[in-house]
Amino acid sequence: MAAPMELSCWGGGWGLPSVHPESLTVMAYAKFSGAPLTVNAINNCWRAPKGEVPILISEDTVISQPAKILNFLRKQKYNADYELSAKQGADTLAYIALLEEKLLPALLHTFWVEAENYCSVTKPWFASRIPFPLSLYLPGKMSREALNRILLTRGGPPLYSLTEVEAQIYRDAKECLNLLSKRLGTSQFFFGNRPSTLDAFVFGFLAPLYKVCFPRVQLQEHLKQLPNLCRFCDDILSCYFRLAVSDPALIISLQMDDNLRKSPQHPPRKLTTLKLAAGGEESSPLNRLSP
Amino acid sequence: MALAAEAFMTQLAAAEPWPENAALYQQLKDEQILLSDNASSLAVQAFLQMCNLPVRVVCRANAEYMSPSGKVPFIHVGNQVVSELGPIVQFVKAKGHSLSDGLDEVQKAEMKAYMELVNNMLLTAELYLQWCDDVTVEEVLEDVDQCCQALSQRLGTQPYFFNKQCKGLTFQYRRLVPKIRPTELDALVFGHLFTILTTQLTSDELSEKVKNYSNLIAFCRRIEQQYFEGHDKDSSSSATSRSAKRSLLR
Repeated sequence: MAAPMELSCWGGGWGLPSVHPESLTVMAYAKFSGAPLTVNAINNCWRAPKGEVPILISEDTVISQPAKILNFLRKQKYNADYELSAKQGADTLAYIALLEEKLLPALLHTFWVEAENYCSVTKPWFASRIPFPLSLYLPGKMSREALNRILLTRGGPPLYSLTEVEAQIYRDAKECLNLLSKRLGTSQFFFGNRPSTLDAFVFGFLAPLYKVCFPRVQLQEHLKQLPNLCRFCDDILSCYFRLAVSDPALIISLQMDDNLRKSPQHPPRKLTTLKLAAGGEESSPLNRLSP
Repeated sequence: MALAAEAFMTQLAAAEPWPENAALYQQLKDEQILLSDNASSLAVQAFLQMCNLPVRVVCRANAEYMSPSGKVPFIHVGNQVVSELGPIVQFVKAKGHSLSDGLDEVQKAEMKAYMELVNNMLLTAELYLQWCDDVTVEEVLEDVDQCCQALSQRLGTQPYFFNKQCKGLTFQYRRLVPKIRPTELDALVFGHLFTILTTQLTSDELSEKVKNYSNLIAFCRRIEQQYFEGHDKDSSSSATSRSAKRSLLR
């Protein structure tokens, strides 16, 4: 049996187990592949996060960055891509590149650079989970890093002003969402009936965009017009991050009211009668939603 | 480019057919051009050849400064100047030529994804090798290997990445078969792989990685033969004149 593994990452809100895309990707992959991870959400009383988050700790090994964490899990035989063909594996790499190039800049902008969003939602959320006095400094640093990343990768000539860069990255992000929607079609997951690495990455990037309530929401509005992508996120949330239900009517009833989702103080209702066989830790990330 | 400017450009582009005197500008061949710029230039040249649009390659030391975006290559068509593969593909499309029209929506999505993969991995590797030391060269080489593996698996035994049959027949293997056309993804991959394989660098590690995949080498050879040989008139600027001097694609 593999050594116990601990994942430290940003916590959840708005019905999500984590609001941070990379953390969510790793958590989703762990669920899909059945890897037993103990999830430690970073909160006020915990050590300050150093370096990159999420981080996987297993005995003496410390691994950061989602791609490397997923590689490690695969080496421990937790492989969600076992049934994929070589071509599907290649497609996975290509689509992940697409997500990182075309969608991530706009995602970073929505969370960290767009002034109204950052000041009213992102900064307070992160600051409340970081111990003082780092809470005064770290969110600002994350915001500057996000802006740097956007400008470095997309801000070259002939786009010289931030508004032009912004227009371009949102256009690219909307195109990327359209492409993903076309690729998904009516399937449940991107490769057939079982979720794989690509589903983990797409879910990790889309779910925060879909669920977190921001004042400036142009990308979210666009995403909501692609019902198959929304259904994709909701399915994963209800099947892998809550107790699984086989009755479709119960799945619908688990979809909570938007109002309830906004406030992280109201954890979702747990159905104690129906339990997923491999789902021991579903409750732990949800417990951390209450202050 | 701002949305309004782009729409305006598209309208201008659509107004006139492709002229005979279109030119592609890049830096000087042997002394100046960088690995990554050469790959980009070759990709555009391959793309235009595949569309059957004549263009002559002009080498200028100040090409970067002439370019509207500062990036090479750029094309001068009629009275318009367009740089980089993405905008050039759009421009050519506005003039009524497209390689990817026959693809369905899912295939178009796949094509865009693979183009990002190539840009992400191969271009980064080329830039890295040009400018940095070999401190984290292992990571870069591993990325390149992964990318080539993905491309090789995607290509399989087919001639091009997307094998949509189009109108017309062609004579091949002594019989008439439906024509299959390449797409801009094929042009981009060719540009990068051919450059990596044929340029002399301080170490051969990058080209060795690519050479592990025989179907990718066959792919480059096929495109070179089909679209570049026979266009060797201007020997100082042709891409493949250099290949005659090197032991290419062994």
